[in-house]
Amino acid sequence: MNLEDVFAIIVGHTREVVPGLDDYAFQFTDSLRELGANSIDRSEVVMLALESLSLKAPMIDFARAENMGELATLLHAKL
Amino acid sequence: MHAAESAPIVVSGIGVTASIGQGRRAFADALLAGEHRFAAMRRPGRQKPASDGDVAPAFIGAEIADLRMPDAVAAAKLRNLSWSAQVALATLQEAWDDAELDDVDPRRIGLIVGGSNFQQRELALTQAKYQHQPEFLRPTHAMTFMDTDLCGVCSETFGIRGLAITVGGASASGQLAAIQAIEAVRSGQVDVCIALGALMDLSYFECQAFRSLGAMGSDRYAHQPELACRPFDRDRDGFIFGEACGAIVVRRAADATRTPYAELKGWAMAWDANRNPNPSLEGETAVIRGALARAGLSADAIDYVNPHGTASVVGDETELAALRACGLDRAHLNSTKSLVGHGLSAAGMVELIAVMLQMQAGRLHPSRNLDSPIDAGFRWVGATAIDHVVERALNMSMGFGGINTAICLQRS
Repeated sequence: MNLEDVFAIIVGHTREVVPGLDDYAFQFTDSLRELGANSIDRSEVVMLALESLSLKAPMIDFARAENMGELATLLHAKL
Repeated sequence: MHAAESAPIVVSGIGVTASIGQGRRAFADALLAGEHRFAAMRRPGRQKPASDGDVAPAFIGAEIADLRMPDAVAAAKLRNLSWSAQVALATLQEAWDDAELDDVDPRRIGLIVGGSNFQQRELALTQAKYQHQPEFLRPTHAMTFMDTDLCGVCSETFGIRGLAITVGGASASGQLAAIQAIEAVRSGQVDVCIALGALMDLSYFECQAFRSLGAMGSDRYAHQPELACRPFDRDRDGFIFGEACGAIVVRRAADATRTPYAELKGWAMAWDANRNPNPSLEGETAVIRGALARAGLSADAIDYVNPHGTASVVGDETELAALRACGLDRAHLNSTKSLVGHGLSAAGMVELIAVMLQMQAGRLHPSRNLDSPIDAGFRWVGATAIDHVVERALNMSMGFGGINTAICLQRS
């Protein structure tokens, strides 16, 4: 699985959690916070992505991600 | 007594969701037509796994087929809401609109949610799904498993800022919420108080425990679910669950913006000092007399009774004994549970609403499956609705743990 695949998984879960993003064209530089995800939404997105990737890792490992691309990179590094 | 405490208290808005209909008009029509939706329950988490890994025969109940959510609730928001919270929002929206609360100062509006342990089915599903992979449990589970999540969800959606709490009284929770809402308005804590009897979302674990306890109906009618729910009938053998939720808006009569449904004339609570599920004649007579006394009414003034009537073998007999002891054997009587099942935490509220909708219609709904009443000396409404203008009614609830409540209503 490459980085783009991981990013696509994050995008899918973001659409599931944050209302109104169905047609939005996501970029690596997008911030979940700026897209309307509160702290609980962001933790839900990360957990859903971890489950989709069957990746058991503490949530704190992903707290430093500044945008969706960085989150994808951190997740991809643990695969 | 302070003047505000003696001011008449009325119901100025109603919201209701049950298996037979969503919304007060659909619900009233279905009640008066004697409709029901009793069948083998299909909602995930209510099927009892058999010991061989297959699925055992389902419990009988009445489930809400299709919930219409208000436009104000974004579809995407629903993923984090329990079934109880979704039904609460839809029900509350109707009551809110009906009572025209948009113009009321939100700091003067309160919410009392009746019930506890609402989300047992979702807990069972969550525990089954994540039993072997707890690392992936949703962070939001930490919010939704709490009963007070309903307070948070409803107060956030409607902007309620005056008060939002839950009150637990087992199967009397709905009436307990109504009584606490009355007290909140009388005391001046808020000007308007919404009382909500929340949907208690049972899983098969609770169904099995209720059945083992002898409270829930047996498999006797497994192949004829339409016959299973039969309060006050000689062939009853326990309650049949029904998904339901009801909400009323309580305020002083002088503040109501529309013709009220009814005046809440008298109310009473009494405890039996008994943890067990068995009924108490003493406790039930105490609340009937207490509600009448507070209303300043004699038993003769009550022309309709909506009893608790779970179809429990001992409970129904005790309730009729209490009504007879209080001189209420001449009032008309029917059983709302025979149509919608037992909503547990919602039951007392849904029945209170059924009383007011019958008052409004000038008709009393039928009692289903009352083929052979355990006491034919009462004025039962049988298999068909009857015309009757209710002037003053009594509604009763009882719950495990020895709680009894009664509320007396008068037509506005």
